[in-house]
Amino acid sequence: MVTHLRPANLAELSEAVREGPQRLLIAGAGTATGWGGTPTEVDAVVDTTGLDGVIDYQPADMTVAVRAGMPMADLQKVLAEHGQRVAFDAARIPLGATVGGLVATADGGPARHAYGTLRDMVIGITVVLADGTVARSGGRVIKNVAGYDLAKLFHGSLGTLGVIAEVVLRVYPLPKATRTVAVERPPDEGFELAGQIVARSLEPAALEWYDGRLLARFEGTAEGVARRVAALQAAAGAGWSEVDDAVWDEVAGVALGAPGDTVFRCGTLPSRMPWLAGRIAELAGAAATVTSSVGVGVHTVRLRSGDPAVHAATLTTVRDEVAGTGGSTTAIRRAEDVPAWGPPPPAVALMRAVKQQLDPVGRLGPGRFAPWF
Amino acid sequence: MDPAEFVAVLGAENVLTDPTQLRTYECDGLTGYRVVPALVALPRTTDEVAATVRVCARRGIPFVARGAGTGLSGGALPVADGIVISLQRLRRIIEVDPVNRRAVVEPGVTNRDISRAAAPYGLYYAPDPSSQQVCTIGGNVAENSGGAHCLKYGFTVHHVLAAEVVLADGTVTTLGGDSPEHAGYDLLGAFIGSEGTLGVVTKVVVRLLPKPTTVSTMVADFGSVAAAGDTVTDIIGAGIVPAAIEMMDNLAIRAAEAAVHAGYTVDAAAALIVELDGPPDEVDSQFDQVLEICRRHGSTKLRIAADPAEREAIWRGRKAAFAAAGRISPNYFVQDGVVPRVRLAEVLGRIAELAAGAGIRVANVFHAGDGNLHPLVLYDEAKGEHDRAEKLSTAIAELCVELGGSLSGEHGIGADKACSMPVMFSEDDLATMKRLRAAFDPAGLCNPGKIFPTPRLCGERPGPFRPHPLEAAGLIERW
Repeated sequence: MVTHLRPANLAELSEAVREGPQRLLIAGAGTATGWGGTPTEVDAVVDTTGLDGVIDYQPADMTVAVRAGMPMADLQKVLAEHGQRVAFDAARIPLGATVGGLVATADGGPARHAYGTLRDMVIGITVVLADGTVARSGGRVIKNVAGYDLAKLFHGSLGTLGVIAEVVLRVYPLPKATRTVAVERPPDEGFELAGQIVARSLEPAALEWYDGRLLARFEGTAEGVARRVAALQAAAGAGWSEVDDAVWDEVAGVALGAPGDTVFRCGTLPSRMPWLAGRIAELAGAAATVTSSVGVGVHTVRLRSGDPAVHAATLTTVRDEVAGTGGSTTAIRRAEDVPAWGPPPPAVALMRAVKQQLDPVGRLGPGRFAPWF
Repeated sequence: MDPAEFVAVLGAENVLTDPTQLRTYECDGLTGYRVVPALVALPRTTDEVAATVRVCARRGIPFVARGAGTGLSGGALPVADGIVISLQRLRRIIEVDPVNRRAVVEPGVTNRDISRAAAPYGLYYAPDPSSQQVCTIGGNVAENSGGAHCLKYGFTVHHVLAAEVVLADGTVTTLGGDSPEHAGYDLLGAFIGSEGTLGVVTKVVVRLLPKPTTVSTMVADFGSVAAAGDTVTDIIGAGIVPAAIEMMDNLAIRAAEAAVHAGYTVDAAAALIVELDGPPDEVDSQFDQVLEICRRHGSTKLRIAADPAEREAIWRGRKAAFAAAGRISPNYFVQDGVVPRVRLAEVLGRIAELAAGAGIRVANVFHAGDGNLHPLVLYDEAKGEHDRAEKLSTAIAELCVELGGSLSGEHGIGADKACSMPVMFSEDDLATMKRLRAAFDPAGLCNPGKIFPTPRLCGERPGPFRPHPLEAAGLIERW
């Protein structure tokens, strides 16, 4: 029987982990249950959604400290009242994804082009380790090199190192104006145009090659955005159009997928985008959609419901080929019988050692990184 | 120490044992701390670094990696019966890839040389520590270096995509990858800023950025330090993210002006350098906003750089400020604390009180936009002021923690501030960090005695520094 633990504060969380049964699965809003490996049988679920709310918000300092179970969408509402935001647009946010869950999965959205991911915005973190130890690193200032940065370690840890309890974030002003331009381009020309946009310092907030179109989102003052939209029109020529912001919901849909889909995310050299798009089309045909943060080389692939064998072959083939050139793949949604992970990264032994140090008996998230560790 | 095994892997010409030569490695930029190492290794390749570290691992010899030795926290301070591994001979720029906007470089390449190599493609490497002419990218990785422009662009950790590292057992691995997306724990992020305690970096892949189209720079003088501090708070609060906001007080202005004639107003109580960059419309409208905020706080003079040469002169003054302190004081400590930006005026007032109480002058020159203070504690060794100045310096760093900030914004903890760590972190916090260290370096051979306080050096209870023992004798006990 699986016990459900829902601590309401940091002390309760520490106690729940320390005194709880042997094997624990950490859960937030449950929007990323398919990420990584399938957890083996556990004895209890540690539900972080009781750790909710803002701890300290200093609008004039552009920093906010929150409990990790707080939904990011709720946080964005609080910040918006002060004309601010977390510059982060992962697809799961509207589904209720928590701040801690978004850190633990290293998720990101198209804004990664200009702002990176939460890795780049977390300035302080509080975690509870498998033995109940409460540990903090960083702090509440945006510049800080005192001690090791545990937040980095927990970014992408998929609930296997400890429970993220509190997070301090750097926030940014909400832009006064936002406009999105779409340019019809096949992958290779899309990549080239993206390079021109970057080289001309048009500073898009997002730059995404999505399903045959290059999307550029500009943010800033109304006049500044208008000028940059015009500059892109001049550079792009044919196939240019201004599109509604709703196009970004479509992009988010690729990462979200639906039951029966296979969804995965690859990181490669940016210039590999045309290769990747071509390869996916070859292997999966019209059932596949690729969206690529083309400036940084992060690609999300959705294979819509269809032949499970084609899904499995596409994921494993692309993953092996990506790994062969130094890239990385994380499965977000897949059929149970498809291996979650491909070839391990070079530093897998070190990851194993870190896991061994922080969770020596393997209590947390067993199976998430199997067979790597 | 028997150099034979090191000579066997490096060749005699790449192993230093002569006491005179060893002395040039006895300290980094924090010159008050000195320890002569037993030997200096000068490897030329990753394989040679790994072979050197394997000898250390086999014999239990501690090792300290070193770049240009410009660090300001004693992070490259040698260990008495350990060796120094200098990365100065690994200085190739392996590749500049303008299509993917990245460069692959060896750790001994200087920060400035990366930007120089990228310049023909209209690209540059963003982090710009004041020592960028000489400091190396390997040292930048170890310290997670920032610089004047990190307010907008971030630190080394935001600009390094991958690093090849030699671990403490001599194995070579790669952290990070071709993109920011990599499965598993972000060991690269944990490694950057670990002050050389987790391994030796032998290759670095950095991101390059296109040069911004528009750059606007101003110097705003103020009649009081508090008015300048409040101006910074209001600029940040208005949602403007300048490329840089630097602040100097009167002592710093006078020192810098005497050194490089940047055209600063020598009787201003404080001056701000504010730089905005980006698309032209956004820069212009925000620049007007900043001017307005400065006027509102009673700015006594606003000087706008008319051209790149004038901008360069303004920055030359700022970047020379540390060295220029030598003109107004025989000795000085540089502090590196950080406070939340809403507390700038408050911390400056408190520092002035502490300085008055100690009878020691403090000049302030710092990265105001991110709250990173660099108070220069000015003293005269010959007048016996050293201990009082050191105590004041530590009190300022710990004041920053009290105000919700940090001991260090960019110089690192190193040997210098290890004893203050318990002021900022609990025992459990530090124990957890040590577990990470144990995963990388179970034997503790990699740059020991840095970051973490040791009871023998710091005393059993956390608190203000006790006077340091004689440098050499005391530091032997550190590891």
